Amino acid sequence: MSAVPSPVAPPRRGSPPLLEADRLSKRFGNFLALDDVSLRVEPGRVHALLGENGAGKSTLVKCIMGYLTPDAGRIRLGDREVLPKSPRHAQSLGIGMVYQHFTLVPNMTVRENLVLSRPRLPFVVDWATERAALASFLARMPFQVDLEAPVRSLSAGEKQKIEILKQLYLESRVVILDEPTSVLTPAEADHVLSMLHQMARAGEISVVLITHKFREVTQFADEVTVLRRGRKVGHGGVGDLTPSAMADMMMGGASKSSSLPPSARSSEHEAPADERDRGTDEGAIGHARVLIDDLHAEDDLGVPALRGVTLEVRSGEIVGVAAIAGNGQEELVEVLAGQRMKTAGTVTVSGAEYEPKRAIMRALNVRCLPEEPLRNACVPTMSVADNMALRVFDEPRYTAMGWLLSRKKIAQTATTLVGEYGIRAPSIHTPIGRLSGGNVQRAVLARELEGKVDVLIAANPCMGLDFAAVAEIHARIRAARDRGAAVLLVSADLDEILALATRILVMSEGRIVYEAPLEGAEPAVIGKYMAGHGAHVAPDERHASS
Amino acid sequence: MTSTRPAAGDGAGRFSASVEAAAVPLLGLAVSFALFGVFVAVAGANVGDVYYQMVRGSFGSWFSFQNTLVRAAPLMLTALCTALPAQVGLVVIGGEGALVLGALASVIAAHALGGANPWVVLFAMAGAGCVVGGAWIAAVGALRTLRGANETISSLLLNYIAIGVFKHVVEGPLRDPASLNKPSTRPIGEANALGAIPGLDVHWGLVYGLIGCLAAYVLMRRSAFGFAAKVIGGNARAAQLGGLAVSKIVIVTCALGGAAAGLAGMAEVAAVHGTANASIIVGYGYTGILVAFLARQHPLAIVPVAVLIGGVGASGGLLQRAEHLPDATVNVLQGILFVVILAIETLRGRLATFLPRARVTSESAPNPAAKAACSKAA
Amino acid sequence: MLEGRMSDTAAGLGIWALPLALIGGALRVSGPYLFVSLGECLTEKSGRINLGQEGTLILGAMTAYGVSYLSGSPWLGVLAAGCAGLVLGALHAWLCSLPRVNDVAVGIALMLFGVGIAFFLGKPLIQPPAPRLSPIELGAWSSIAPVRAALEIHGLLLLGVVAAFVMRFVFRRTRWGLVLRVAGEDADAARALGYDVDRVRLVATAIGGFFAGVGGSFLSLVYPGSWSEGLSSGQGLMAVALVIFARWDPVKCLWTSLLFGGAGALGPALQSIGILGGYNLYATAPYVLTFVIMIATSSARRTFADQPAELTVAR
Repeated sequence: MSAVPSPVAPPRRGSPPLLEADRLSKRFGNFLALDDVSLRVEPGRVHALLGENGAGKSTLVKCIMGYLTPDAGRIRLGDREVLPKSPRHAQSLGIGMVYQHFTLVPNMTVRENLVLSRPRLPFVVDWATERAALASFLARMPFQVDLEAPVRSLSAGEKQKIEILKQLYLESRVVILDEPTSVLTPAEADHVLSMLHQMARAGEISVVLITHKFREVTQFADEVTVLRRGRKVGHGGVGDLTPSAMADMMMGGASKSSSLPPSARSSEHEAPADERDRGTDEGAIGHARVLIDDLHAEDDLGVPALRGVTLEVRSGEIVGVAAIAGNGQEELVEVLAGQRMKTAGTVTVSGAEYEPKRAIMRALNVRCLPEEPLRNACVPTMSVADNMALRVFDEPRYTAMGWLLSRKKIAQTATTLVGEYGIRAPSIHTPIGRLSGGNVQRAVLARELEGKVDVLIAANPCMGLDFAAVAEIHARIRAARDRGAAVLLVSADLDEILALATRILVMSEGRIVYEAPLEGAEPAVIGKYMAGHGAHVAPDERHASS
Repeated sequence: MTSTRPAAGDGAGRFSASVEAAAVPLLGLAVSFALFGVFVAVAGANVGDVYYQMVRGSFGSWFSFQNTLVRAAPLMLTALCTALPAQVGLVVIGGEGALVLGALASVIAAHALGGANPWVVLFAMAGAGCVVGGAWIAAVGALRTLRGANETISSLLLNYIAIGVFKHVVEGPLRDPASLNKPSTRPIGEANALGAIPGLDVHWGLVYGLIGCLAAYVLMRRSAFGFAAKVIGGNARAAQLGGLAVSKIVIVTCALGGAAAGLAGMAEVAAVHGTANASIIVGYGYTGILVAFLARQHPLAIVPVAVLIGGVGASGGLLQRAEHLPDATVNVLQGILFVVILAIETLRGRLATFLPRARVTSESAPNPAAKAACSKAA
Repeated sequence: MLEGRMSDTAAGLGIWALPLALIGGALRVSGPYLFVSLGECLTEKSGRINLGQEGTLILGAMTAYGVSYLSGSPWLGVLAAGCAGLVLGALHAWLCSLPRVNDVAVGIALMLFGVGIAFFLGKPLIQPPAPRLSPIELGAWSSIAPVRAALEIHGLLLLGVVAAFVMRFVFRRTRWGLVLRVAGEDADAARALGYDVDRVRLVATAIGGFFAGVGGSFLSLVYPGSWSEGLSSGQGLMAVALVIFARWDPVKCLWTSLLFGGAGALGPALQSIGILGGYNLYATAPYVLTFVIMIATSSARRTFADQPAELTVAR
């Protein structure tokens, strides 16, 4: 069978083949990432693969896609045994994958991206024929896209749709999706998933849906397999399993079904305990520490990204800003951190005008915990000690005669902080780029929280970290708040915001569009505002006031 | 590497790392000279004789060694014009332009001061050379940091523009009517010449070079300013997060580099030519780029490398006379050296595998190559 | 060269003398810009920058002159120049594919290396005259010498014009072009599609070097049409800036090359109508133009949408 779609051939009919992974195991060094796991994807069904980070979901699909060779076990497709050697090979067998990150080339059009993905291209591409073939292909699809649009101009949701279209265009019969909705608004996610569901119903494809959102499983999947620590811990029809039963499987029985939030993200695991410790009690919250008024900024391509952000953070509170990626929250943090120029607006800290300059940051005790610390907050080639001195190296206590560095004092401080924060590094002279993500984040946290902190700006502080690191970093942020810091927390993870924030603001298209009430913030309502619904109310008022 | 101290138990790894740090460039030198030997052999020369003449012409006698030092002096300064901006992550190749305009400015300063005390004149010449050279390269840094214009291309364009301006002025407004064959400005006068270091036949420009490199070392590796520059060179976003005045530090660093090259131009005028004419334009600026890269942008390493490359240049004349090789032989060797020394970087961290007790090496010393890899990854 | 002939008749042509001299000059001077910028455009589209094109240009000029002199066939010289460039380009690509090797530094090194080799091997070629490429006389109908001179078109330039359009076609309409662009836009995506990014870049950089080498033959066999050590003065590197201005589009490279050629012809053209003062300043016109254009088209805050995304250095 050939997976080469000839532009004029009629669509292939017949149900997709049965995909079966039989007792796969995969070991990395001493770590058993996949332990005797089987997965059976029935033709024309949506099969959810559920599990925490590190449960073995991606190892399993990487074995199926040919990225990894399993140490033991077999993979069957239809009635024959296969061993995909590469993603390309898997694709030629009719197994395709939609990744969490986009594989589309931004500077090329949708049409070029689709045609390019074909395994065998003619030397001269006859665009007239290709256009006609794509048009007739699109006519059979449940949604339409602009073929001539450059991919860079598309929203995350549109890109995700094109990734899926690409799989259908390549005539993949089994489509594996790795957390496809993490970049989508709830409405977009529903649209994409229900479309896949319908296509599976129609017998066009089988779907493997990797997720950790129960809602998606119960609404769109037919079957579910649950993994935990590399083992298969549960399987069944979606109708037969309640979310709490699935959560129990995922968490190994540690979770109480009654307190389980609508989704089961890692940070949430600790959520019940946090409820007492939200700092919502009015007495702890002080005066307005940070005032942001009508802030404007542009993104890298010169398109307005912040269009009049106005907000306030008081000392002793954590204000969470929830937003779908690409709605200006990255730019907001960059402006406050000094990594982007504002085009208009003012920021006031403790009554004084704030500019992201060293002297002002120091005088006003403003600190920042940006996302991807190795890219945003560290010099990977410089040592742990030097990176920890980034805020203070020019202070009198670290310099002689006001300019000569005291390496000894820098090393002393670093040694103290490394011990205090439990940073695991071969030595304080090791380049920080060689440390694990959790230890890099701890080192940055240690640096940013040293001394008096009046304002802390944190962006996705726990992205990609494990349970233990997440709990610790959350605790440190809370502790800073308890010491009176005003914390502005920007996170793509609504659950993290629900767990930490005192107040929740929703940002959409570069504006604050909603403020959730102090008590009883409704994730569904917040999600609606994140998606941009109701955005017409708030921004006008804000503009009128400025 | 000087910026970190060995921690307890890290000594062995650090030792073999420093062995490697020295071994890699030395291997590069050996490979380069071997390749150069093959090249001259193919060109029909006797390889042994060529090597012999090169050693003789550069380090073989007190006379030739002094000649080498005279050539090394401007190279130390022009190398700083590349090495200083490299600390903040910029690849500037505008040393030639800064040197040429520094020379021109120093001549103008000398003329303006007429018959003043020679010390005052020399001081003013040095000041003028530094200011003009510094401003020239500061513009490159400013355009890069404020405007995003590629500094490598803009600094090269400025070389050509500087040479055009230089020739225009020397052949036009400031031309000494007495200079017939070779258009020159009026001489600065014997009294104002920069003399020789006592006991040597080498002018004071060498001391300028040594002091320049030492000062650059202290500033870049020991001071808070240098620390800030290193942060900017390593990751500008982290520097912004720390509130560092990125643009200011970049521009100042570039200005210092340009001032060094401008000073080289002043020394060439005051000590060698006594006037400004096209003889100044002999490519010290371009050779300085090579010196900076061979020294891996380390201010102190520039000193020996400049002497080595100065020696290669000094032997050029002898190669022409004794071996009948073209004067471009030196350029070929420089080209080979440059290419090989960059290519050999790929061995860093891997060479350790061949050395005893090498396992830990890759875990210890940071080096610019790793920095390149990291910034590439970022 | 043409200037001597022209200054006699210049007076009779009145205000037309300067534009005519400029057009003629632009057509001659733009040749090297065109070929180098096409080569650099190809290289950069694959996601790599080659600053060594200056060295390639000079090596190409020397090779073309030498081969033309030895074989008596200028076209063989052109081919040899291209091949010399091909070797240098492949060397650049190979060096850059090694881990920890920086492409900007390698470019500077190869610039010095190419120039060194060319000066070394070219020493004996400074005196003897080699057969040059002969022009197509489009102005033969005119009796006015400057008109005829302005309309002398060289076959090599026409080849360059054709190459610009062919290259645009290849980028847009062929498999090679698409693969090349993916390698330049997103190396990971290209690898995911099963392409060997290093190989794509090797081929692109080598062919890019071929173009730059041919550009060199234009210098030594067309205009100025001789070999000397002062033959090229930065055209190779200006072409790199030119590609940025042309937004990585081969056909725009053509128009921009003509503009740069015009700027380069300004000095000789003014000289030809008798304006001799400030020659050194007029000679800097192409550099000043490049410089101004570079500043005008840069932005510290923005990135260009049409810049190959793997090309971080062009900022």
